[in-house]
Amino acid sequence: MKAVNAVTTSWPGLQVDRPTFSAVAESELDAVHRYLLFLTGNRTVAEDLTGETFEKAFRIWRRFDPRRGSPRAWLCGIARTTALDHFRSEERRRRREERYARDLPDAEESALGPGELETALGRLSAAEREVVALRVLLELDGPTAARVLGISTTACSTRLSRALKRLEEMMHDARN
Amino acid sequence: MPATDVDFEREFEELVRDLRVLPTAAPTGVRERVRTLGEPERPRTLHDLLLMFSWRRSLLVLAPVCVLGLVSAAVIHGVLNSGGDSQQTASARQQLDLQAQPEHGGAVGSTTTPAFGALKGAPAAPSLPTPTPGRYQDYEASLTVRVKNVDALHDRTAEATRLARTYGGYVASVDESTNGGSGRSDLVLRIPVNRVEDAYFRLAQLGTVTEQHLSIRDLDQVVRAQRRRIVQLKVQIARIGETLKSSSLPADVRLRLELQRDAAKQELAQVTGSNKATLREASLSRISLTLTSQKAAPTAKGGMSRIERAARDAGSFLAGAGAVLLFVLIVLSPLIVLAMAWILGMRAYRRREERRLLSAA
Repeated sequence: MKAVNAVTTSWPGLQVDRPTFSAVAESELDAVHRYLLFLTGNRTVAEDLTGETFEKAFRIWRRFDPRRGSPRAWLCGIARTTALDHFRSEERRRRREERYARDLPDAEESALGPGELETALGRLSAAEREVVALRVLLELDGPTAARVLGISTTACSTRLSRALKRLEEMMHDARN
Repeated sequence: MPATDVDFEREFEELVRDLRVLPTAAPTGVRERVRTLGEPERPRTLHDLLLMFSWRRSLLVLAPVCVLGLVSAAVIHGVLNSGGDSQQTASARQQLDLQAQPEHGGAVGSTTTPAFGALKGAPAAPSLPTPTPGRYQDYEASLTVRVKNVDALHDRTAEATRLARTYGGYVASVDESTNGGSGRSDLVLRIPVNRVEDAYFRLAQLGTVTEQHLSIRDLDQVVRAQRRRIVQLKVQIARIGETLKSSSLPADVRLRLELQRDAAKQELAQVTGSNKATLREASLSRISLTLTSQKAAPTAKGGMSRIERAARDAGSFLAGAGAVLLFVLIVLSPLIVLAMAWILGMRAYRRREERRLLSAA
């Protein structure tokens, strides 16, 4: 997706057309939200993390180099780190509170909706959901998605294929 | 078989279509929150650039740059050191050994001064260590000077003998010989020590200096020892003389004293002679001058051209740099191994932790 606005950085020797932050935020907001929704499986958490992601991106925007990757991939990397931090703090909180119900399935409805597909998605692991989000919904190519996930391109493709096969099987079982 | 970019779209066409139509847009609240952020104002700082820096990529660039820099430095080093004195002949060698040592193994050791400064032009005046004023020193120098041809050889020989007399000295020996187109003349000149420096410079200007040697031997302690002995002997002789004046000496004692006096007188004469010779040696320097009209020998097969010398010097420089690098590597290798182990360990731990968090989420 092309950014609407662009500026030329004034740093000597690094004259490159960078999109403005506000343009990038406007164009990539839904994509980042979609990714976090799939990754966390929780709408409320995804909304919070989306805001945090863009706040973090706002603070370190000057480090973004468009020559090294797209804004979408860059934001997804930040979103993933933000989500992992959230998972860590949640884990610490649960341990502190000694909630035995940690392993029990969450009683609230699926974050994505009541449908069969949403239910099937909820049964995938977070790792499987995030690769589906990156490759299918955000349409990142294999190498870019692999870089965001910190795995090899082959591993990314394998994970995607496995996730989609599981989804298809679950959908098939649900229909039958 | 893992799905490629196109494969999964085709293989799971219906599923992909369904997934893409799921309602996943960000709600209005989040949108407003992001919009209020606005535009960052702070420009990039050096810190930001460093954080953006890809260290892996930079290593790929830095490594060949460093190697290139090292090779360039080696080449420059080799070229600069191989030049030498281009104004000297190929076979010219200059050695200067400065030895200042007392005759009877005193505390002063020998010292070697570096070779004469480069001779500029032919002939040139080298800088000489001068005799120390107020001290008795045996000053010996040798000089080999090449002249143009046999005719010039004869003229220069005559000029050298004239120079010796001009400086208050004399020619101890001259040996001149010619053979066809070449000739040689060996002179030994005795020049007063206080004028040896000037004489030496003038003699060096007779032609192209191809070899020179200088030796200074301190004779001060020798002279002092001789003088002390002379005084001791004179005192001994005087005492014996006084004792012999007595008439009450037994005959055998008188005889012994007379023999002692004679021995002392003999030794006194000997030491006095040695002292005079030492003083004479110290007052006159010895310059051995060789004049030759032979051309310099061509560079032997084993000799090297400038390019070869430059290459050799460059190789030595690289070898030295390599040795230093190897030493640093050996010293730092345990730290490097530890650092790499720590980095790999942290990376593995982080991946494991991510998997655990995502599986628990």
